[in-house]
Amino acid sequence: MQLSLSATEAWQPLPAGEWNAEAARHLLRRAGWSDPRPEVSRAVADGLTVTLRRLFPSEPVLFPEPRLVAHLREDTPAIARGLTSASPGADKQALLREARERTQLAVQDMSIKWLQYATQPRNMAFAKWVLFLSDVYVVGIDKVKNAALVWQHFDLIARQGMGSAPDLAKAVSRSPAMIAYLDLNQSKRGAPNENFARELFELFLLGEGNYTENDIKESARAFTGYRQQFGVFRFAPGQHDPATKTIFGRSGRFTGDDVIDLAFRQPAAGAFLPHEMVKFYLSDSPLPPGYLSELGVWWGHHDYALRELAQRFFGSRLFFAPEFRGDFIKSPVQLYLGLVQDLGLSVAPLPRQVLVPLRQMGQMLFNPPNVRGWVGGRNWINSATLQVRRQLVESLFTPIDEALLNADEQIELVAAKAAGKGNFTVPDELLAPLATLDPAAASDRLLANFLALPAAPPFREAVRQFLASDHADGTPNLRRLRRAAVTLLQSPEYQLC
Amino acid sequence: MPSNSPTPILPTTRREFLQLSGRGIGLIAFSRFAPAFLVDSALASTPAPEKDRSILVLVQLAGGNDGLNTLVPYEDANYYRLRPTLAIAKDKVLRASSTVGLHPSCAALHRLLADGKLAIVQNVGYPNPNRSHFRSTEIWETASASGEFLATGWIGRFMDNACAGQPGGAAGPVGVHISNGVPPSFLSASEHPTFGLLPGAGNRHENEENRRLLESLASQPGAGNDSATFLRHTLMDALVTEKKVQRVLGSYQPSASYPGNPFAASLRNVAALIAAGLPTRVYFVSLSGFDTHSNQANQQANLLTTLSEGLAAFQQDLERHRLDGQVTTMTFSEFGRRPSENESRGTDHGTAAPLFVMGSRVKGGLHGTAPALNLAPNEDLSFTTDFRSVYATMLDRWLACPSEPVLGGKFANLPIIQV
Repeated sequence: MQLSLSATEAWQPLPAGEWNAEAARHLLRRAGWSDPRPEVSRAVADGLTVTLRRLFPSEPVLFPEPRLVAHLREDTPAIARGLTSASPGADKQALLREARERTQLAVQDMSIKWLQYATQPRNMAFAKWVLFLSDVYVVGIDKVKNAALVWQHFDLIARQGMGSAPDLAKAVSRSPAMIAYLDLNQSKRGAPNENFARELFELFLLGEGNYTENDIKESARAFTGYRQQFGVFRFAPGQHDPATKTIFGRSGRFTGDDVIDLAFRQPAAGAFLPHEMVKFYLSDSPLPPGYLSELGVWWGHHDYALRELAQRFFGSRLFFAPEFRGDFIKSPVQLYLGLVQDLGLSVAPLPRQVLVPLRQMGQMLFNPPNVRGWVGGRNWINSATLQVRRQLVESLFTPIDEALLNADEQIELVAAKAAGKGNFTVPDELLAPLATLDPAAASDRLLANFLALPAAPPFREAVRQFLASDHADGTPNLRRLRRAAVTLLQSPEYQLC
Repeated sequence: MPSNSPTPILPTTRREFLQLSGRGIGLIAFSRFAPAFLVDSALASTPAPEKDRSILVLVQLAGGNDGLNTLVPYEDANYYRLRPTLAIAKDKVLRASSTVGLHPSCAALHRLLADGKLAIVQNVGYPNPNRSHFRSTEIWETASASGEFLATGWIGRFMDNACAGQPGGAAGPVGVHISNGVPPSFLSASEHPTFGLLPGAGNRHENEENRRLLESLASQPGAGNDSATFLRHTLMDALVTEKKVQRVLGSYQPSASYPGNPFAASLRNVAALIAAGLPTRVYFVSLSGFDTHSNQANQQANLLTTLSEGLAAFQQDLERHRLDGQVTTMTFSEFGRRPSENESRGTDHGTAAPLFVMGSRVKGGLHGTAPALNLAPNEDLSFTTDFRSVYATMLDRWLACPSEPVLGGKFANLPIIQV
């Protein structure tokens, strides 16, 4: 990829003169989901520095523990005791089944609640940052099996997510979900399990090619004795291998924490997370050599502080460069939450309507396909997922037929309405103001509201013509406006941010 | 491509297609459907590639259909004890035997039963029943045991076993679903061309409007970046397929009068695609609203009317097109409902229920045994036919695909298909 800036210029702060509404929209779409107008005005008025401090605050914006997750956490020891004492056979089968169902319901509850939390403009950048870090430090419910542990993992990342990267890595190595996910529970003196040590170097801290097989073997010994029970970390000294290890050419009686410190002294450490950020936030194409190491060196001089890194990255000239505007494919979660924000909707408390399309588009929250996380970019798109994307838009413009809901869904819906949650589908009022404009003005408003980039004249003309046909008195009718809005949101351009 | 083209923007014939490709429009990237099916402009009048290939139509009754009020044990005093307000009076029941009969809303199905074109498999379920909609649907769709979690659906595994190596993509989709999203039944280990349509006829005019504008937007020069180009090409591919399908649906002349509801419209669309000679082996259609926890009587009566009249019209349409020998239709629901009615004149989640198998090649009549109703209040039915036996029969006897690798075990066949 050819860049307009040199590696040194790339990470310098954006000059104040280049901060404007278009830049603010770009920042909000990439750091969050979409660009709600009040947020844009506020960001422009505050300036870039203040906006970045607000989007990436020193205090975490926590995602509260959902009710069903808390109940499951409280009941986990009793469920486990029941399983241990049950004799093998039907009773045990029934208990296992019950445990699985509770986790399933808790994950659904957690997914809906997370989407409701993340869609709030004040939470969105932080929520997305935690989603990003959880896409590096991956755990998945399929293997962890307990929703409470997965929530706890997210909570831990949120609490450490603006602190120092080595501290975050150390906390993750003690995360009960991670211990279950990468088999640390099984790792003991004399029989170290290498799964965690390998992914720590390959996928969490350094990247392939920056360590040897022997570094993994030796490091695995340092992480022996990490245990968890019911979501509580415990170090079992009797299972730990305290003897001398040789890692990255240095020898000592290293602990797990020492290994993480050693890894952060490797030359590859600084550029690794920035590389992941580019993939998650910026571009499908890798940056040319040299750009990441430039940022990596800077980050190393700033003690691997995550908040500094986020602000440097999102405040850089490179981040705002024209080649990165409006060319990044939205993930399913971004598409969905972006639609919710763009259309002024609330997340419906209906797993079938919300979580099933996300799964069909390829993104099950709290359950990435494997330890690599979601590959993203073009991998989100094929003819089947595009069809689901289009159906999703259509469904947000179709009133929910309550007669077709299951009883539990009806109960949720009634509760959400009673709690003052707003629209779950687009009401006519949303587009009514546009029906008073002439077709050209109405199409300009639709395009400006929904698309990341200014539309090319023929594109704009196609929308205008659509609105202009079958109008009675020079203004487009509401039905046609709805069709135009639906189609624009299904267009290739809307899949980009 | 000239953006002011007055003619439709996407190609509809092979020649147009090749011309456009030659001009670098990039429609080459057909990922899941190859052009043969799409660009054959005489599609509707060409015979199917293999005329006698068997087709299965799955009809999902989502929400959990109440089996006891669908096939009513009108001679059983226990039934009237368990259903003080919801029971169907004996004189209203449409007799299927000297002990059981259909709900009065199932008149059209009752006629099919008399003609020997409807098989009713009684009391179908599975061991250790799960009463969650989500999970029990998953069990039915993946054909798993109650405690087993499978990543693929039974139809998906059928495709894996029966359609591998077949140039499916070249000829058209092997599976078509008319539902919101891909049914878990269709999930497979390897990729197969499948296609989805939204339920009902939709508003044809609006769909057409929507597709035209989308075509026109997708073919604008627009943003010139790589991602946009990639998205435009993928979308164009999908639109070409859709346009062909819409053309088939739009020009179809049904030979039966379908009731005016989305479910019947979906069945009409299935008939249109079958008549067009697609090589599709499995169609999936869904009817929801069966979760009748309160005031069940009217709701279920309406739903069963919709089901019964829709299925009968579909069968008649196929017969008049002489396609009935090729098609068998089967219903399923995630569970039946509790024998004891609840305090809200409804019923709660239960276990086993009857299912329907319809077609000119089925062995009509009652199969299996009726459930025992000497139950305590709130006790559930014990199934007597495993749903995987029904699947095994469909695979072995109808789809001609050995069931064991698909179902991961041997399940006895039922005599519901004429050989």
